[in-house]
Amino acid sequence: MSTSAATTAPDRFTQELIKGALNAARAEMEALIARTAMSPFIREKKDYFTAFLNPQGELVVSTALTLAGNLVAAELAEYPAATMRPGDLYWYNDCYGTGGAVSHLPDMVFIMPVFHQGRLIAFAEAWGHLWDIGGSVPGSISPHTTSVFHEGIMIPPVRVMHEGVENEEVVRIFTRNSRFPEMLKGDLKAIMAACRLGAQRLEETVARHGVDAVEASFEAMLQETEAALRTQIEDRIPDGDYAFRDRIDSDAVTDRSFFVDAVIRKHAGALALDFSASDRQAEGPINFLMDDSVPKFMLGLWMTMDDPGIGMNGGFERAVDRVLTRPGSLVAPRFPAPLGLRSHTMIRVTSALFGALAQATGGNASAAPCVYVLYYLRGRNEDGTEPLCIEGLSVGFGARTFADGIDAVYYVAQENYPIEFAEMEFGVEIEAFGIHLDSGGAGRYRGGCGIVRDVRVLSDAATLGIRLDNCRQPAFGVNGGLSGQPGRVVVNPGPDEWDIATMSDGNQLKKGDLVRIITPGGGGWGHPMDRPAEDVLADVLDGFVSEDAARELYGVELDGDAVDQTATKARRAAMPRSDMMFHRGVHYDAADDRAEL
Amino acid sequence: MSRYAIALDVGGTFTDVILADRSGGALWVTKSPSVPSAPAEGFFGGVDKMLVEAGVPVSDIATVLHGTTVATNAILEGKGAKTGLVTTAGFRHVLEIGRAEIPRAANLFNWVKPQRPVQARHVFEVPGRVRLDGSEVRPLDESAVADVAEAIRSAGLDAVAVVLLHSYANPTHEHRVGEILRAALPWVEIALSVDVLPVFREYERAIATTLNASVQPVVGRYIGQLAEGLDQRGIGAPLFIMKSNGGTCPPDEAARGAVHLALSGPAAGARGAAYLTAEAGIADVLTVDMGGTSADVALIRGGEPARTTQGRIGDHPLALPIIDIHTIGAGGGSIATVTEQGAIRVGPESSGADPGPACYGRGGTRPTVSDANLVLGRIPPHLLDGQIALDPAAAASAVQQGVAEPLGIDLLTAAQGIVDLVDSNMTGALKVMSVERGLDPRNFTLAAFGGAGPVHGAGLMRNLGADRLLVPRYPGSLCAMGLLTTDLRYDFAVTLLQRAGTFDASITEQYLTDLQARADARLDADGIPPERRLFQRAADMRYEKQGVELIVQLSSEPVSDAALAKLVDRFHALHQELYTFSDPAAPVEIVNLRVEATGQTGRITLPEIASAPSRTPEPFGTRPAALSAPLEPVPVYHREALLAGHVIDGPAIVDQLDCTTVILPGQQATTDRLGNILITEGAP
Repeated sequence: MSTSAATTAPDRFTQELIKGALNAARAEMEALIARTAMSPFIREKKDYFTAFLNPQGELVVSTALTLAGNLVAAELAEYPAATMRPGDLYWYNDCYGTGGAVSHLPDMVFIMPVFHQGRLIAFAEAWGHLWDIGGSVPGSISPHTTSVFHEGIMIPPVRVMHEGVENEEVVRIFTRNSRFPEMLKGDLKAIMAACRLGAQRLEETVARHGVDAVEASFEAMLQETEAALRTQIEDRIPDGDYAFRDRIDSDAVTDRSFFVDAVIRKHAGALALDFSASDRQAEGPINFLMDDSVPKFMLGLWMTMDDPGIGMNGGFERAVDRVLTRPGSLVAPRFPAPLGLRSHTMIRVTSALFGALAQATGGNASAAPCVYVLYYLRGRNEDGTEPLCIEGLSVGFGARTFADGIDAVYYVAQENYPIEFAEMEFGVEIEAFGIHLDSGGAGRYRGGCGIVRDVRVLSDAATLGIRLDNCRQPAFGVNGGLSGQPGRVVVNPGPDEWDIATMSDGNQLKKGDLVRIITPGGGGWGHPMDRPAEDVLADVLDGFVSEDAARELYGVELDGDAVDQTATKARRAAMPRSDMMFHRGVHYDAADDRAEL
Repeated sequence: MSRYAIALDVGGTFTDVILADRSGGALWVTKSPSVPSAPAEGFFGGVDKMLVEAGVPVSDIATVLHGTTVATNAILEGKGAKTGLVTTAGFRHVLEIGRAEIPRAANLFNWVKPQRPVQARHVFEVPGRVRLDGSEVRPLDESAVADVAEAIRSAGLDAVAVVLLHSYANPTHEHRVGEILRAALPWVEIALSVDVLPVFREYERAIATTLNASVQPVVGRYIGQLAEGLDQRGIGAPLFIMKSNGGTCPPDEAARGAVHLALSGPAAGARGAAYLTAEAGIADVLTVDMGGTSADVALIRGGEPARTTQGRIGDHPLALPIIDIHTIGAGGGSIATVTEQGAIRVGPESSGADPGPACYGRGGTRPTVSDANLVLGRIPPHLLDGQIALDPAAAASAVQQGVAEPLGIDLLTAAQGIVDLVDSNMTGALKVMSVERGLDPRNFTLAAFGGAGPVHGAGLMRNLGADRLLVPRYPGSLCAMGLLTTDLRYDFAVTLLQRAGTFDASITEQYLTDLQARADARLDADGIPPERRLFQRAADMRYEKQGVELIVQLSSEPVSDAALAKLVDRFHALHQELYTFSDPAAPVEIVNLRVEATGQTGRITLPEIASAPSRTPEPFGTRPAALSAPLEPVPVYHREALLAGHVIDGPAIVDQLDCTTVILPGQQATTDRLGNILITEGAP
């Protein structure tokens, strides 16, 4: 922590100007990456992240994505600050070697130190998800990996540029390991250029406002964020321990579910997030090498969401005193456990925190979201061509305490492919794409609905891999809200239909088969019978809720396109109201949920 | 003799009117209040005021040009017609699902999906399917269409969009649905996606088509009122409406393609800036049009406003070819607030036109950017030549209580801070607009206009390190000026996917010829003689596996294999320029073909102002202003008195009817022969 700076704190306006300049610089860095990167993951899915950090490695301004670890510590361990020079650029993707600074191998982190008169004052950082870094399958990620070695090349912290001169040998070794080396070179260039731009912009900001003002502003931004979260914690979380367990369907390799345990422990003004009771690590790739900052950022973003001026930064980390994990567990796996599908556990960390938060606050937390879905359809034609279709599919998020869950959503900033694009590129025909009726958990606020996508195989034959969670363990509801409905994968719906395991690979299909992928919905919040009947009617008319569900779950009787007010009132009055906090298939309290459903 | 053009840009608060002698010479500029509740009234208020002021007989008016926010407001406020959508069976939720993303800058925990222009209950499915190659997989179920017509009737919808999958490749089904619906529901406005945006990507196409359908009746009614009013006044001159693409169109086309008017006003501003800067010999320009609630930023390269097919209107994507305009919530009415943690924000919340800034004396008490400018003496205590008096005491009290006191700082520091912050916000927008295209803003001239632009231009130029600042002679009326400099412009496009190695010159030529025939038919209807028609052919191209295309221009000669090879070369070069790399070995695809058609309508020649007898003008007086440090007497000039060749050294202030130009210490301002003020750091 920089203490000397506090004595020369600039005025509030200068602070705001510096903050504005840093955020503008970050926007420029992201624009540069988006503009110059080559792979679809970065160009189309926009899977990248930029930040400025202080010399201690604390985030000062960054993209609001809760997946960053302490990005600098591992570099500093290898290359002490005293050895760093202007024009140096450091690089890694080694998850285990950096203690979880990155959480799966495709994410490549680049960090450039920034100096003022020979003194290290900050780091400019950018990472992006690269398209193929070797490993056992094209794209490097598969539900069937059982070791991180299956998932591509590992780059330990290295100095890829020294005083402006690129270490070209390192880049050559790396790109030789990819099935798409040219694409990788383009992406590397883009991310490296973004770091240089960031460093330059920071130097300009220092030249304009003075180094003292900039360093003091860094500290002020961290303190502002810390204070905002501390205030929220103090106001909203009473002293005590609040435990919650949430579940993952499977790791795609063994046929068993896994659990994440979150305990919020608040005592005498100190807050700890304890995940040490979480399940043992998985054989399949759902392991999440979780940096301490991840749950802190999740909590921080949730608790400060009403103040758009609060930036996500290391202030969130300062406001939470400890994060506890147990080595060998799902959230602290041992090398070389596979990590490629870590988002399945990452989203469960979020929902387990919500569950714990719900108990701490009388239910003032979001219901559970689902994790996004991907399918991998690898076609084979008699003419020897092999069309590859990898599509990300959207799901439903959990209902909030103030709004319905988001319907049909993937994750931050990432877009789906238009049908007319998919049919152009992927050797498939999409015969239907709609909302998964009744999938959003019923509630005062409804869980977000998943989707249904009907994919017709046009290749002569194809193999299907799929990762679809929240089927055995649907997203839970809170405070009377019901759990979301599970997803399903069914081939040739009708009399001869057959199901595909929702976490699987190697499923054989033939030309003309129709695969219906049904994605799950998020949990509901609050009692369904408290939802305004007109909102339920709207959901029925718009195809989100069936008439049956309106009657059975919400107690709303419809008369044509209108609410039958009298019948609804009578029906709702007769409906039981559980006072248990959670719902997954049945109402339950957190303490009862120690057995697998 | 009919030789005058009248241009009306109807904004939220004011209507700007310019009447120009098209042969050069006389130019009249005026302002009248807009009437948001009855836009046609505001329009004719402006017409009538101008006719009186200029004393020109109506028979001498040759053209009426118009920029309007009628479509914009209907879209942004969701006040279009009650609209439905007919789509392919299986895709009822095409609008609800969208692209499934949370915006990058949003907090995922509190983001709420925006309302779509059509509710899913008013989306109707019809069986029938065509493929990407135009082949029919399943025939259209016409009896289902008849049932849909019945459902539309009973739902009481006023407008319907028809968007069938792959209709750009084979519009037969879509046309047939349109025919059946028109026959069954003659009172309902119908928009077909193949007419509005016949290119692939169903969500974007559906949004454009539903927005079009929903504003068609609104724009149609409005256009009808304009025609009637012009007729009543005996103005027989043709009316042209500004489109978002930077060109104009006649009333029938405006009503049919109403969504093309979504950015009518801002496009006119960019057009005007492009014209003025080109006249001044400047090719590369960043423009900022700062008004009461927002600032529009645009880019001009080689004299042409940059265009995009990836724009937005409100929460919706707008995939039509439009002038690329980035809007942020920074205007004279933007409110400054201090949070509980002591942080300061300026905008996007605005005091709007009512009550307006505190200094307007209409009940506003929260400090705004205009209040800060008044406290600093940057703007005079009256507007419109004294027609509107401002209240400096109210401004000072708002800044004092809203910002200075909570922060424990003095009034001037607080006011300067508000100005610096709003400048910083706009600087960010200008940087993204240039940097996203790989351009260094320092190589650009900044053009600042709109009521508030010239007050902030000098600060923005300094922030950007831009070459120079241009403040037009009538900064508040530049959008109206832009109208006078436009031509008719239509964009025709169609999707025709051609993979690498399968380019077919004769099919390409056939598609382009078809597009050109449509363009010719349109310009025939407009009465544009062949010698005044320009056609630009282009292709949307990408590397295999890319999901975003670049628009590459094609020569007008018949398409040959050699021409296609050249096209590919141009694609690589453009990719290199925009994205810093290209890969000449990688396969390239053609996705869409385009024809941009221009019908030249005859531009005005701007009158020149008189030459200055000496280099240095006499100031009109001084007023206390804080342009760098404390309040000190700063020379004030009247814009009307500035002549070609006059040079002013900063600090100085130039007041005119509807706005004020600030020249900071160390800057120098020169007036050119068209009355533009050009500001540089030090001597140019």
